[in-house]
Amino acid sequence: MTADTIAIGRSGAPVRASGLRHVLTPAAIAVVLVALYAWVSTLELDSIERRSLNREVIVAKVVEHLQMTVAATALVVIIAVPLGIVASRSRNRFITPVILTAGNLGQAVPCIGLLVLATFVLGVGFQTALVGLVIYAVLPVLRNTMVGLQQIDPALVESARGMGMTKGQVLRRVELKLAVPAILAGLRTALVLTVGVATLGAFVAAGGLGELIINGLKLNRMPVTIVGGVLTACIAFFIDWLGSLAEKLLKPRGM
Amino acid sequence: MTFGEYVVSRWGTLSLAAAEHALVVAIAIGIATVVGVGIGLLGFQAPKVRGASLALSAGILTIPSLALLTLLIPITGLGWGPTLVALTGYAFLPIIRNTVTGLDGVDAATVEAGRGMGLSAARVLLKVRLPLAWPLILTGVRVSAQMLIGIAAIAAYVDGPGLGTQIFEGLARLGSVNSLNATLAGTLGIVVIAVLFDAFFFAVRQLTTPRGLRVRP
Repeated sequence: MTADTIAIGRSGAPVRASGLRHVLTPAAIAVVLVALYAWVSTLELDSIERRSLNREVIVAKVVEHLQMTVAATALVVIIAVPLGIVASRSRNRFITPVILTAGNLGQAVPCIGLLVLATFVLGVGFQTALVGLVIYAVLPVLRNTMVGLQQIDPALVESARGMGMTKGQVLRRVELKLAVPAILAGLRTALVLTVGVATLGAFVAAGGLGELIINGLKLNRMPVTIVGGVLTACIAFFIDWLGSLAEKLLKPRGM
Repeated sequence: MTFGEYVVSRWGTLSLAAAEHALVVAIAIGIATVVGVGIGLLGFQAPKVRGASLALSAGILTIPSLALLTLLIPITGLGWGPTLVALTGYAFLPIIRNTVTGLDGVDAATVEAGRGMGLSAARVLLKVRLPLAWPLILTGVRVSAQMLIGIAAIAAYVDGPGLGTQIFEGLARLGSVNSLNATLAGTLGIVVIAVLFDAFFFAVRQLTTPRGLRVRP
């Protein structure tokens, strides 16, 4: 959850993205993965470890993990971006402090609590994890969308109106485009957050890499846990890196 | 048993868990604030220190908490060890970033005035920049604290202290009499702690903000 949990004021321009970093991150991830593979292949695995640490299981868990992350993030975008737009309209300004406070306090709501509570309603499984993840990740994206739209220089909106654009056109052609960096930053935060929280999906039988972490811990097989943990961390770093690329590529020219 | 009855009958356990939860977060935040503000002060003049510390703390924050907590077990064992280490690590980014941003954001004219009064560079940093940056630094600490309160719930899985134990108890006994009550107690208790921490930071902010900053419109 890098980036914008800390969006305070305008001066907080995040220090990132030297050209080097774009090559460094994937290289570091590759090195870590190769090292992990090399380390595991030197171990003599017993039958319990072999049951978790084989290609089929690991690939299946990674796929489950990514499915959970991507599905949750897609839902978050569908829910949070329109809500953020609605909240940013000037007649809805009264709701701004509510969302900002909820966004801060929402960080403290334990996602494991949400997941378990969702289980009481929905039973265990993929959809439960999805609901928990979405509830958890909606607020940062909502807040960033709203703040991103509100930070736009009113003079720009005014001049677009003066050029004869309708409110809808101003929103689509001016406001949303200018808010893209803030929205993307929120999305990147949400994605990285979701990768981490998706490990907890294993507690409600939704699969994912958390299963390796938990099984290894329960069966006292540290290599299984370490493989699960390192793979999750690598995915998080990789997605953060993709996010930084997307931020760079999708930023409107001229900004 | 209703939720109310559950809370009353387990009050001892719950209040102890809540106190431990608050304590472990407070210790982690305390360490991270001292170290983080220190790094921020050092990094203010040295761009390399600043870049490295920001990148490193952002990296730590990217590691999923369940993964970090379990990966720490071979090193720190179970319980308070991995909890404190992981929480402290997670707390750095908001604190360091806000320290650096806050120190940077001080009006150049104010700094010039300090220099003109004969203060050395170090004294300008400590007597002028730091007090003026303080509200923003405090915001960083507050953001960190909120985050840690939520993460600390997961620490219960590696035998850490806190209200997370209630949530995991609810999960372990899913479907039995008090499982919903335990989960609710854990989750709501953590939210209450978060609100109390927020109120605390609000009070600290009111009390420690230099007077000149408070009266400004």
